[in-house]
Amino acid sequence: MQKISLIVFSVLFLVIVTVQAQEYSIVIKGGHVIDPKNSIDEIMDVAINDGKIARVAKVIDAKGAQQVVDAKGMIVTPGLIDIHGHVFFGTEHGNYLSNSFVALPPDGFTFRNGVTTIVDCGGAGWKSFPTFKKNVIENSKTRVLSFLNIVGEGMRGGAYEQNTSDMDAKLTASVANSNRQDIVGFKVAHFNGPEWTPVDRAVEAGELANMPVIIDFGGNNPPLSIEELFMEHLRPGDIYTHAYSELSGRESGRESIVDVNTGKLRSFVVKARERGIIFDVGYGGASFDYRVALPAAESGFYPTTISTDLHTGSMNASMKGLLNVMSTFLTMGMDLTSVITASTWSPAQAIQREELGHLSEGAVADITLLNIREGEFGFKDKNGYKLTGNQKLECEMTLREGRIVYDLNGIATPVIVR
Amino acid sequence: MHRYWLLSIVLVMITCSIQAQKYNLIIKGGHVIDPKNNVNEVMDVAISDGKIARVAKKIDAEQGEQIVDAKGMYVTPGLIDMHGHYFHGTVPDRYLSNSFTALAPDGFTFRSGVTTTVDAGGAGWKNFSLFKEQVIDRSQTRVLAFINIVGSGMRGVVPYEQNLNDMDPKMTSLVAKQFSEIVGVKIGHYRGQEWEPYQYAVEAGELADIPVMVDLGGTDPALPLDIMFSNVLRPGDILTHMYGGTTSGHGPKEGPLDEDNHLREHWIEAQDRGLIFDVGHGGGSFFYDIAVSATQQGLWPNTISTDLHTGSMNSGMKTMLNVVSKMMNLGMSLQEVILASTWKPAQVIQRENLGHLSEGAVADIALFTLHKGDFGFLDSRKHLYPGDSKLETELTIREGKVVWDLNGIAAPRWDE
Repeated sequence: MQKISLIVFSVLFLVIVTVQAQEYSIVIKGGHVIDPKNSIDEIMDVAINDGKIARVAKVIDAKGAQQVVDAKGMIVTPGLIDIHGHVFFGTEHGNYLSNSFVALPPDGFTFRNGVTTIVDCGGAGWKSFPTFKKNVIENSKTRVLSFLNIVGEGMRGGAYEQNTSDMDAKLTASVANSNRQDIVGFKVAHFNGPEWTPVDRAVEAGELANMPVIIDFGGNNPPLSIEELFMEHLRPGDIYTHAYSELSGRESGRESIVDVNTGKLRSFVVKARERGIIFDVGYGGASFDYRVALPAAESGFYPTTISTDLHTGSMNASMKGLLNVMSTFLTMGMDLTSVITASTWSPAQAIQREELGHLSEGAVADITLLNIREGEFGFKDKNGYKLTGNQKLECEMTLREGRIVYDLNGIATPVIVR
Repeated sequence: MHRYWLLSIVLVMITCSIQAQKYNLIIKGGHVIDPKNNVNEVMDVAISDGKIARVAKKIDAEQGEQIVDAKGMYVTPGLIDMHGHYFHGTVPDRYLSNSFTALAPDGFTFRSGVTTTVDAGGAGWKNFSLFKEQVIDRSQTRVLAFINIVGSGMRGVVPYEQNLNDMDPKMTSLVAKQFSEIVGVKIGHYRGQEWEPYQYAVEAGELADIPVMVDLGGTDPALPLDIMFSNVLRPGDILTHMYGGTTSGHGPKEGPLDEDNHLREHWIEAQDRGLIFDVGHGGGSFFYDIAVSATQQGLWPNTISTDLHTGSMNSGMKTMLNVVSKMMNLGMSLQEVILASTWKPAQVIQRENLGHLSEGAVADIALFTLHKGDFGFLDSRKHLYPGDSKLETELTIREGKVVWDLNGIAAPRWDE
């Protein structure tokens, strides 16, 4: 009898152990976890199962996990979120960022930068969204979301973006409402003129769909008041992108958040932030200028969200990749935790996707492993001027929904599950 | 008399100021590796009007409008990646021919030091003009092409690439002669016992006087490559995916190793006779169990290439420079890997004006840092090979213009 009990007990024990041991598909061990939403900033293990975060704890037994990732010396963060990119690639002639050559397919630029979610910033309008969905969203491994352009034709360039009669708040909001899984807000861009129509229509759409708007403020002579934009036209939660641009001297100009003559941050900018306006980098090809960024940083004014404005004109210029932009802000004195916050939890909140951008148990397992390389590095602005620094972020590994989608040096054991 | 003095002083001053602007750019103090010209030492390189103006031990910095300090870096001809897939487009179900699996080149080339890339068979004679308009004419990278022997290009392995009736040597060669960017003929993914596809490709190659690149498909039993090497292909023709597996698609194919892991003699003999073996890493064509054994037995690549497409870009392949670094860690010297990614591919594609830093040549130049440390490299089965060397692109110059500058070594400080 005793013998039988012993056998039964042993078998049961073994079954339990095996079940336990196969609990996790991947365990990431020994990395420094920075998870701003959950206020985690220390060495922790992270376990993944079924594409979700299963557990975050000081020590997680990795025995029997299908894969173990040695993250010693690395930073483990939620998958990065880039809320300003241009990924409506295509081959329509003369269509600029809307189904044309200036936009890029995302996957070759996201995962190697630790990005798991990218938001196309206004490439598609309500008329072209179905093509965007079919060609881009459905053909990408990256999670692709969209700020729908207030212009029905999207970012077709030139005159199309000046057409106020193609800015229909109701239709734009209605397409957004019927595609809430993909559309997160509305974009205003490149409008030249004294009218507030594009901004106001976008905000109207935002009201109708309960979504934020993101403003690329275009230009006018004399420039429209950004104070008026922040305080009277936008709502708390709306986003001002290209925050570090300096286009005040242009024929069709835009005010900067810094007075470049005095090097002082304009007084209403802090008030605008307190009001809830979100300041986004949107680095791009011509929208990041040290004459604005350095004085702003000196005043302790750092971006709410860090983003690339990725397109063919920025990819090989000073911008290069999201990690290069984040490293630029590290070099400008923004601390690492704030840099990670501005590229994970803050953008998730800005686009009202609070299920993203953190490593809570049960959340989708979008995870990034970063190295901080030490050395002599240079970071340029849009004028090609250089700031030197001694730290640079490098992506070691990216996981999207629990699957390794980028592995720079093969740090998983086994590297692949057979 | 005094007047003449004054005049000559003025003349000297004018000459000096012209002298001071003699070169647009001088790259100073880098270790130049230029295999064609047997240069392998610290040299300065001066550029003017998009061309190499001078390579010398010391070129006076005063003579350059712009100076790049390349101390501690390697300076090489711009890399040539002769196997990639760039015929991007949005037509559904067209694979590598105007569809989603191919990629626009510029976001992958310059950051890897590549200035010339060759599309390996995306377009055939029927859609080459679209490729020219959509890709070649819109890229900053120099894009060349192997034209597919299949008229509709790489539209899909089945059925399009199996269509013997769409393999027309005459039409292929006509279009090849029509476009200066066409440097060869591609035959890929054919699944069958026939020799005709390969013979058609060679016939087109003969007619247009260009090489043929073979990407072997699978068939049961595997095609005997000793016959292909000696009876079908010519010296100068190319077998890509040299370290690939022994199956492709739905059937077996011959790899470099026999059942006992011995290197097949006819592979080495073919290489000795002038057949070109190309890496073509790709998403499923580079395996360490084959590459390590084959290289140890003496089969090294003539040319290093990526087979870039969406399926390889984020996997073991990653970038041209990652593949170059892999070959270094397998035992090739830095000089050898640079040769196999500059001057050698230039010769193979009969573009001997490229791939070197001779005075007067187009100023396509790459600057690299060689990092030492603990690195890992993955193959197409994601097997790991640890290594201690890895190259990083610091600067890429295309026709004399800086098109990639990782750390701003060609940029002024912000406060200057």
